[in-house]
Amino acid sequence: MKAAPFDYLAPGSIEEACALLAEAGGGASVLAGGQTLMPLLALRMSQPFILVDINNIAALRGVSRIAGGTRIGPATRQCDGLADAVLAEHLPVLVRALSHVGHYQTRNRGTIGGSIALGEPAAEMPATAVALGAVIEITSVRGVRRVEAADFYLGPYMTVLESDELVTGIEYPDWPPGHVILFREVAQRPGDFALVGLVGALVVEGARITRAGLAWFGMGPTPVKMRQAEAAILGQSADALDVNGLAALAIADTAPFDDHHASAEYRRTVGRRMFTRILREALGRQEAA
Amino acid sequence: MNAPGVGAARYIGQRVPRKEDPRLLTGRGQFVDDIVLPGMLHVAFARSPIARGKILSIDTAAARALPGVHAIYTNADLAKIKVEMLSFFLTPGNVSITPLADGHVAYVGDPVALVIADDRYIAEDAAALVDIQYAEEDPVVTISDAMTGAPVHADTDSNIAAMMGVEEPDEELEARLQAAHCLVTHKVTHQRISQSPMETRGVIATREGAEELTLYITCQSPHMIARYVSLALGLPDTSIRVIAKDVGGSFGLKNTPWLEEMSVIVAALLFGRPLKWIEDRVENLTSANQAREQEMILRTAFDANGRLVASHGDYSVNNGAYPQGADCNIAVHMFMWAAYKLPEYAFLSRGWYSNTVGMAAYRGPWAMESLIRETTLDIAARRLGIDTIELRRRNLVTLADQPTATTFGIPLEDITPAECLDKLLETLDVAAFRVEQAEARKQGRYLGLGVAAYVEPTGSAGSISVMTGELAQLRIEPTGKVTATMSTHSQGHGTQTTMAQIIAEKLGVAYEDVTVFEGDSSRGGFSPGAAGSRQGVIAGGATIKASELLAEKVKILAGHLFNAPVENITIENGMVHIAGAEEMTRSLRAIAEIAYGEPTRLPPGFEAGLEAQYRYTPPPMTFTSAAHACIVEVDTDTGFVKIKRWISCEDCGTIINPAVVEGQIAGGLAQGIGTVLLEEMSFDARGNPTAVTYKDYLLPAISDIPDFEYLHACTPSQSVGGIRGVGEGGAIIGPPTLVNAIADALAPFGEIGCDLPLTPVKILSLIEGRDLAAVVAPPPPPVVVVEAPAPPPPPPVTQAAAVIDGSWKMVLSTPMGPQEMTGNFVTSGGQLSGELLSPEGSMGFAGTVDGNRLLFDLKVEKPMKITLKYDITIEGDKLTGKVKMGFFGNAKLTGQRI
Repeated sequence: MKAAPFDYLAPGSIEEACALLAEAGGGASVLAGGQTLMPLLALRMSQPFILVDINNIAALRGVSRIAGGTRIGPATRQCDGLADAVLAEHLPVLVRALSHVGHYQTRNRGTIGGSIALGEPAAEMPATAVALGAVIEITSVRGVRRVEAADFYLGPYMTVLESDELVTGIEYPDWPPGHVILFREVAQRPGDFALVGLVGALVVEGARITRAGLAWFGMGPTPVKMRQAEAAILGQSADALDVNGLAALAIADTAPFDDHHASAEYRRTVGRRMFTRILREALGRQEAA
Repeated sequence: MNAPGVGAARYIGQRVPRKEDPRLLTGRGQFVDDIVLPGMLHVAFARSPIARGKILSIDTAAARALPGVHAIYTNADLAKIKVEMLSFFLTPGNVSITPLADGHVAYVGDPVALVIADDRYIAEDAAALVDIQYAEEDPVVTISDAMTGAPVHADTDSNIAAMMGVEEPDEELEARLQAAHCLVTHKVTHQRISQSPMETRGVIATREGAEELTLYITCQSPHMIARYVSLALGLPDTSIRVIAKDVGGSFGLKNTPWLEEMSVIVAALLFGRPLKWIEDRVENLTSANQAREQEMILRTAFDANGRLVASHGDYSVNNGAYPQGADCNIAVHMFMWAAYKLPEYAFLSRGWYSNTVGMAAYRGPWAMESLIRETTLDIAARRLGIDTIELRRRNLVTLADQPTATTFGIPLEDITPAECLDKLLETLDVAAFRVEQAEARKQGRYLGLGVAAYVEPTGSAGSISVMTGELAQLRIEPTGKVTATMSTHSQGHGTQTTMAQIIAEKLGVAYEDVTVFEGDSSRGGFSPGAAGSRQGVIAGGATIKASELLAEKVKILAGHLFNAPVENITIENGMVHIAGAEEMTRSLRAIAEIAYGEPTRLPPGFEAGLEAQYRYTPPPMTFTSAAHACIVEVDTDTGFVKIKRWISCEDCGTIINPAVVEGQIAGGLAQGIGTVLLEEMSFDARGNPTAVTYKDYLLPAISDIPDFEYLHACTPSQSVGGIRGVGEGGAIIGPPTLVNAIADALAPFGEIGCDLPLTPVKILSLIEGRDLAAVVAPPPPPVVVVEAPAPPPPPPVTQAAAVIDGSWKMVLSTPMGPQEMTGNFVTSGGQLSGELLSPEGSMGFAGTVDGNRLLFDLKVEKPMKITLKYDITIEGDKLTGKVKMGFFGNAKLTGQRI
């Protein structure tokens, strides 16, 4: 469990980092918090020739308000996100989700962007970005492009990121004050990747649901946007929802698999129950953000 | 009770701070990887990626060419030094084992080549470059594979590694089982467990001069390692020094060095520079020996009142390819019903070879008995409509029933599981819980209460040759401070603390003034260390006796110096007092200075200095008893189990330090919780391990462990000091307590059974009434009882008379491993006489001859009184047969003419 040899480079700017990634021609890995990459290196499951450490790039850190939303620098540590006043006010569900990412110790190093770029299908941060409709800013020597989080993920640990590209920002649209937040996950131990997880936000205006962002994690090869359930819930009365019908639609979008820890059928069964319970609780109690 | 004449300061029974903690909690412990020797090089292994196959070629050229690589050894290189891999009992194995693979590989992770390099990084780079070509063969992975598959080892005729008990059904017992009011047939499938010590295996081996070998190795006893290596290599053990100051857990794994450690030791002897190998976590989860993969069917008959009638157990355990002692776990049966009034028990017990990493011990290796018995009792209680606690009360052996003996003839004098249960129920209000449970069910919440009781043999000595007594060597130094050199060893057991408490109390000195040394084979005397919950009992007794001897010596000297009768002298807090003459009070230092430095002032015949030692051998077995209760809530949405309360009531006799006792119980319970809910070392059909990191092998975290409540019963044992062992109990009684609680919670849905771990998928499947496990388990193997290879049928009587007379070399497969002996037979008509010679001595016998079949009986006293019935068939120069060993059933005998 010792890493294979690699070159280590720690650029001071985004431009420099992108230049290094371009030059490496696919042989580089980006080191942010290292909470996934370092074990992968030690296990020799990842054997890059070059490690590009982005921890010296100040422009990649921090939370800021932008027009109509909130921008998170990808190298922002998860622990800093948990303590951030802007996130607490504007993205409460993200803060809730963050508290389930890894463990206290790993959150001290792990970054929000690292989790998003890794694309673990059972992780909280990718699904939260998908549910809230975040846009991921991607930079390379070829320019900057912006991808909807729902379009960012291709499969387990597979994203649209090219080998020369770096995630340089995650932008979450605003959800109005008082929006309903939904978050629940079932994991064997606190800090484990979820067997089944659900994250989302609803806007209820005059008893009608006017906006919905819902996503699963651990329920398919990528975070799963509940497109059918989102569409069906819009315009419905919060007091007279067909929760079971919505749950069936929500499950219909999933494609969970069997693994060492749980079966696909278990995930579907628990997911359906979780969906109905959390929706009833959230709307019944009108848990305000 | 204090020895007369020693001051009143009480340390035994107190929660004194542990002497080990300051160094361990501030990162100053000394583990193997903390040791750096001049000129030291690093080792990594090239390992088999397949579970079974022939090695076609090994090409080390590319690896050897890597800068920083010093040598690459294969089995052909190591074979220059002969190694005999021995079992925990220090007996040779049934099958040929070499430290590196000898022409074939037998499990994924089997070490094939050893790389020596400047550092571990380069060593791993080189290991990846060793080019090994294999001809892959179909592996035997599971117990059912082993029953039907081709033998794993070329030198055996089946996959049975060890067998005890009787294969043929006992018709009378069967009739009693079938006729009983209630027959419970209960199957437990126990997953494989990784011991998962925080400190993985590791060794530094360095040759000191031509003859000496120094080993830093993480282990359970430096003395045991020295003895093992001495025997394995044929070196005098006096030339081997083994140092293991701090050890980060072992739980049975590190009883003896195994393939990797022996490879490194031999490589260091060959290469001549110090070599370090530290097992990484992937190696630990794939190549370190594992434990517990078992299947058992227990059939138990009850009468209408819930009283036990008879029981039969059929047990199998996966030994893997190279177990640390081929084993069928006879202790499962010995202790199955030891605490219960059961008239009759019979069993069949088999250990099976497979193409998986070998079996080692794990905390409470026989724990299956408590798991299957206590879960059986709850199933029976539900079926009979009797309360689970009441059912136990009707069957448990109480103090009033003793002395008595188990069906195996093990004497019971002071076991207290029934009394522990009573004490537990003073704290646990069962009636109130049942009300709460009923209310909760109305709201769709499922609470459950599990109770279990057990006894455990601890502090065993004298019946198995490696299980010896313990040696305490004490000195009052010329400074007046006390030094103890102990045969004990701690992997977290806190023996430096508990032994210092005993010394401080028994000698009359301050706890702070006692230093305990252990962890170095060149310091203390032999003991097998931490194995079988033995150190508190045995070393505790040794320390008490040595302290008393030393106190007596101080008093004799003080009496002589001050012309006072010995009985007037007391030692208290390091001061020597003379009753009625306070002005004569002297410090121990003052007395010690005289004892060491002024020989003319000593009494006639008094040995200078203040030193004493005692090797204590306790009674053969000291029983610890306990009853536990646990309350859970099962989430019927997810199948998750939440432990809400856990009460332990154990009787470990005299408690030296309650914090140490509770720490032992908590650690064992945590492992028990992991066993029931989380941990599973699994393999795919090709024998590839599927949980190779802690992402997939789920250990319980602190958040999964409740705050345990402890009750202590404290019935003194018959050993010196009244101590009983407590190291393994939590891991034994934890699983049945928790399974019973889950089963109670889920009783409205049916029986959950006991296929461990009880994952959320399995629990939710019961709740949903359908199988949520997507991959439907393969159909069970056809119900063909695969017979172990039977001894050849008796040849027809017409056969020419076999030549029986003469000497025969014979091997008997016993629970402790193969035992070699020589038999001398003399026939005279139908009469047989002769003697059996073994390392333990010789015994004569007389018997009968029928054709080529010999029948005779031998009565032995050790390890218990038992009659061995020999039934031998001779064919030419070969001899086969079986020996019926009382309740232990049949053991296989083979031999040949000398």
